[in-house]
Amino acid sequence: MNAGAYGAGQPRQPVQTMAYICADCGNENTIKPREPIRCQDCGHRIMYKKRTKRMVQFEAR
Amino acid sequence: MPSTFRTLEREEAFRNPSDKKFGTPALQEVVKPHLESFDSLTKYGSDDAAPGLIDLAIKDIGHKTVFDGVGEDGLGNKITYWIENVTISKPAVAARNTTSLNQKIYPSECRERLITYRGKLQASINWRVNDGPIQTESKEMGYLPLMVKSNKCHLHGLYSKGLVQHHEESEEMGGYFIVNGIEKIIRLLIVPRRNHVVAIIRNSFTNRGPTYSQYGCAIRCTRPDQTSMTNTVHYLTDGNAMIRFAWRKQEYMIPAIMILKALVDTSDKEIFDALCQGDVKNTFLTDRVELLLRSFKVYNLYTRESCLRYLGDKFRVVMDVAEDLTDVEVGEELLRRAVLVHLKNGRDKFNLLVFMIRKLYSLVSGECCEDNPDSPQHQEVLLGGHLYGMILKEKLFDWLTSLKQQIRTDLRLNSSRVDFMNSKLVLVCIRRDVNYVFAKALCIDKYFTGVMTKAPSDIGSKLSYFLATGNLVSNTGLDLQQATGYTIVAEKLNFYRYISHFRCIHRGAFFAELKTTTVRKLLPEAWGFLCPVHTPDGSPCGLLNHLAHKCKVINEPLDISMMPRLLASLGVSQTVLHTINRPDYVCVQLDGKIVGWCSAKAALKVAQSLRFWKVTGQHNVPADLEIGYVPTSHGGQYPGLYLFSTPARMMRPVKYLANGKTDMIGSFEQVYMDIACMDDEVIPGVSTHQEFTPTNILSVIANMTPFSDFNQSPRNMYQCQMGKQTMGTPSTALNHRTDNKMYRLQSGQTPVVRPDIHNHYGFDGFPNGTNAIVAVISYTGYDMEDAMILNKSVHERGFGYGTVYKAEIIDLNELKVTGEPVMHHFGLAGGIDKKVREKLDEDGLPFIGVQLKAGDPLCAYVDETTGRTIIKKYKGPEDGLVDEVRLIGDDSGSSELQKVHIKLRITRSPIIGDKFSSRHGQKGVCSQKWPAVDMPFTESGMQPDIIINPHAFPSRMTIGMFVESLAGKSGALHGIAQDSTPFKFNEQHTAADHFGKQLLAAGYNYHGNEAMYSGITGEELKMDIYIGVVYYQRLRHMVSDKYQVRTTGPVHNLTMQPVKGRKRAGGIRFGEMERDSLLAHGVSFLLQDRLMNCSDYSQAHVCRLCGSLVSPISTKVASSLSSRRNVECRVCNTSKGIDVVAIPYVFRYLTTELMSMGIKLTLGVKP
Repeated sequence: MNAGAYGAGQPRQPVQTMAYICADCGNENTIKPREPIRCQDCGHRIMYKKRTKRMVQFEAR
Repeated sequence: MPSTFRTLEREEAFRNPSDKKFGTPALQEVVKPHLESFDSLTKYGSDDAAPGLIDLAIKDIGHKTVFDGVGEDGLGNKITYWIENVTISKPAVAARNTTSLNQKIYPSECRERLITYRGKLQASINWRVNDGPIQTESKEMGYLPLMVKSNKCHLHGLYSKGLVQHHEESEEMGGYFIVNGIEKIIRLLIVPRRNHVVAIIRNSFTNRGPTYSQYGCAIRCTRPDQTSMTNTVHYLTDGNAMIRFAWRKQEYMIPAIMILKALVDTSDKEIFDALCQGDVKNTFLTDRVELLLRSFKVYNLYTRESCLRYLGDKFRVVMDVAEDLTDVEVGEELLRRAVLVHLKNGRDKFNLLVFMIRKLYSLVSGECCEDNPDSPQHQEVLLGGHLYGMILKEKLFDWLTSLKQQIRTDLRLNSSRVDFMNSKLVLVCIRRDVNYVFAKALCIDKYFTGVMTKAPSDIGSKLSYFLATGNLVSNTGLDLQQATGYTIVAEKLNFYRYISHFRCIHRGAFFAELKTTTVRKLLPEAWGFLCPVHTPDGSPCGLLNHLAHKCKVINEPLDISMMPRLLASLGVSQTVLHTINRPDYVCVQLDGKIVGWCSAKAALKVAQSLRFWKVTGQHNVPADLEIGYVPTSHGGQYPGLYLFSTPARMMRPVKYLANGKTDMIGSFEQVYMDIACMDDEVIPGVSTHQEFTPTNILSVIANMTPFSDFNQSPRNMYQCQMGKQTMGTPSTALNHRTDNKMYRLQSGQTPVVRPDIHNHYGFDGFPNGTNAIVAVISYTGYDMEDAMILNKSVHERGFGYGTVYKAEIIDLNELKVTGEPVMHHFGLAGGIDKKVREKLDEDGLPFIGVQLKAGDPLCAYVDETTGRTIIKKYKGPEDGLVDEVRLIGDDSGSSELQKVHIKLRITRSPIIGDKFSSRHGQKGVCSQKWPAVDMPFTESGMQPDIIINPHAFPSRMTIGMFVESLAGKSGALHGIAQDSTPFKFNEQHTAADHFGKQLLAAGYNYHGNEAMYSGITGEELKMDIYIGVVYYQRLRHMVSDKYQVRTTGPVHNLTMQPVKGRKRAGGIRFGEMERDSLLAHGVSFLLQDRLMNCSDYSQAHVCRLCGSLVSPISTKVASSLSSRRNVECRVCNTSKGIDVVAIPYVFRYLTTELMSMGIKLTLGVKP
């Protein structure tokens, strides 16, 4: 359904939640776009992006 | 035998950091001058209840008084207000943030969030109306930046384990501020020694006015709160003496006698006796004293009161005091705040001023010589904390003054609001049923709180500005000579550099501009206090010094209450009577206060007794007391016994030979002490002290140079510089750092050859280089002129492999218009290119680990007003790998993502053109990565990692490098860490023999030579090659950051010449000197190529008939079929004379420029 709306007017995207790691307690936090940057557990104000799950491969030269 | 490298102990210390002690406590000592001075702001002294410097400062600021001018007596109602108390709280999140589990803010968070590490500054302000009841209100003064690990920091008192838990180094030292995520240090500055009179001859003194001579006596007096005021007594050519001081950057001169008379009730006879000190036969002196007294008669001031009244009358406006003070009181205030401010008592000031005049006269008569203000003997350190306190004091003072101004403005513009006698007041009286005075107070209470809200009170931001920029904004100048350059960034390039920031001590920006080099000279007085080796060469040479590693800066106030008693018991006279003194008596001073007089002989005895008591701790004489005995001499320094107990003095430990104990000596007393360095220098009966070790005179970094006593001294200086620009290990908490640029050496090793102090300061935690097998051989020709050949295999094994971390900070708040809601969000809207999605995640931030090339998307954000996604591109020319992405929230944890910090990792494997250096100032550039098969090899099959040319040695005489090579080789063979502390070997016990024997024992050549075979032909080389292990540093200067090439590229719009600048792919200027060089070579045709064809070659139409470059214009195209344009001269109206010539484009510009000035340029065109 979303694919059908591709490029047509204002695309409505499903709310993407992203997982981040709290810089203080190390817990994983899921944060939606436009949500405040705050750890749900400890209230810390810095988050780290998690390492990608995708394969990372470079040419070894 | 246990490992001499302590590998296991170190591993254990890193695995299980201790919560009771530091691994290397010596490292904590390094920053002590910074930390202790900051701590003293709130707690000055060992006593828990001791007031801090801020408390002392607000006491010194005192009360402010304003009158409203209403009423019968003329002045009207009086309001007095003052700061009662200042509190600084530890850094915490905003009070509205209730979600955070931990309300504390730790330094690591400030670094990561790029904010300032600061705590709330609060002042309680008191006021009273017409001396009625005192009102109090607490006032917030903004947020004050705090020093990391100070007593206002959450890390205070934590040890390795606690520090690691809070994302710090295990050996974190603190001593710096964090301002906008950047670590800032307040630089140590050299200032004149406080409370000590120095005789100065300075030609500029004659510019002060007519009859002023070049002679003067200056004293930098320091108040208890560490602010200072300099008083100078000038000698006038007619024999008179004037006191000069600066008040709010304005200089004032007062006759010395007037001050003397104003200080105490005195007679001319007493002044005469005091100035002569029994030396009535000295006609030079008596003549001048007589003149002093006689010349003062013109003022017709005979009593203390009349002098004070006179001064008060003149200084009332300048001092800005309360209007109800009498002239006498104003005069007293002037003396209290401007004259010899380190003393409270008028009699003490009188005595010291007399001493200054006496010293001045003896300077003029040539009895004593001038004191050298450039000598550390007359210097002390301006500590960061003290400067911080001074600024804080001034800002508090300014705030109080601004309140006064606010009230005055109100009175002027709208005096009815300040009127106390209105009906509202009566109402308040009736309603509250309180007495009239209190009601009056209540009324003004409201008024005064209103005033306080009106006057800007954010002092914290002013100090943040000071730390961020290093600029001093001050009305008084704080008795300092410079306005800028007070702070430096604590760059964590490597640990050497980082640590030297805390030990560096600057002479002052004023001296940097001085044409004379006298201030830069290394003086013998600096021995043991300032490192003779560790100063940069070039413009800051000798001005930017470093403290010797054992040099301490005293900060604790000493208890000297017993001193007057002890001195009296040792035969020092009291200060009550001057007439009993004899001409040969010398003065005894304690912190610039005259304690008494005694004969020179007795003074020596006193000094010796005090020293013995000080070292043995008898009679509670503090160990940090400085006992400066200046003996009587003929035309030498002015004699006396000068005792110093004040903070900010440089002191260092030496051995007291009488009992072998440690004696802390200062830079003043050292000059007149007999301190032997080595054992054979001890002269029995003369030497009283001896150095513990000769390396005590070197700084931390200079100590790290192995066998530095074998090197020519400039090479050690070069190493001190190069050690600080090495790619090393900046930090062990790399993932919590947000530095803009960081260099890291991946394959750091502990040096085989290192001094003992290396372990003492824990440098193994921060390796700075790699041990390399170095052959000294001229092999391929690629090692000429300081080039070095790197073995290709050793490069492949990771020798010198480095990484650069670069930070990209994207702050969407910068795009935000104030007052409007947030319109930009990180993220990707629909319809985004697949290529972008390869690099960026749904949140608009790059995947971690992804490789970014120039032009790749770095992050993306959506602009809500347009609905478009804006993609920010990665600009760097080199490929970067995304290492960390940090999402930064705000203080309260309530706003959405607006700021990210992306750390990029750029790999920097060593390539041709990268710079390397040994630890002996022997830098070189890698010229080839030579294949291992073609490298020369020894009989055992060893190949060198590095080849350097033998020509690097004869002129540079870095024998230390040879010794290191020997020591490293034997150390590697036997598996031991070699001690390379300098001054360990002598002619009887040589280093070459010591390490040679070790080599022999391992079955190697005694001299460190080995037979080698050519890697290309396999033939034995004709001579033995010197080969050994040398610790090599990789310097941060890399070709990747420096290369600049261009064939074609961007050109300047106006001139069409290539632009300049490496960043813009510009060219390198082929300037006048290069042109001269080509002409001299007789290849002037090359100029055509360089300056024309490769620069701004252009073709232009010119009219041969009129010779103009500007008149030819293209006329209309003749027909639509042909595109040929017809060019015609506008002046001659014909196309006959049109020719095309090649000219530089700027010539065309020149023509038009000249034309604009009405100058015609005519070209003579010939075929």
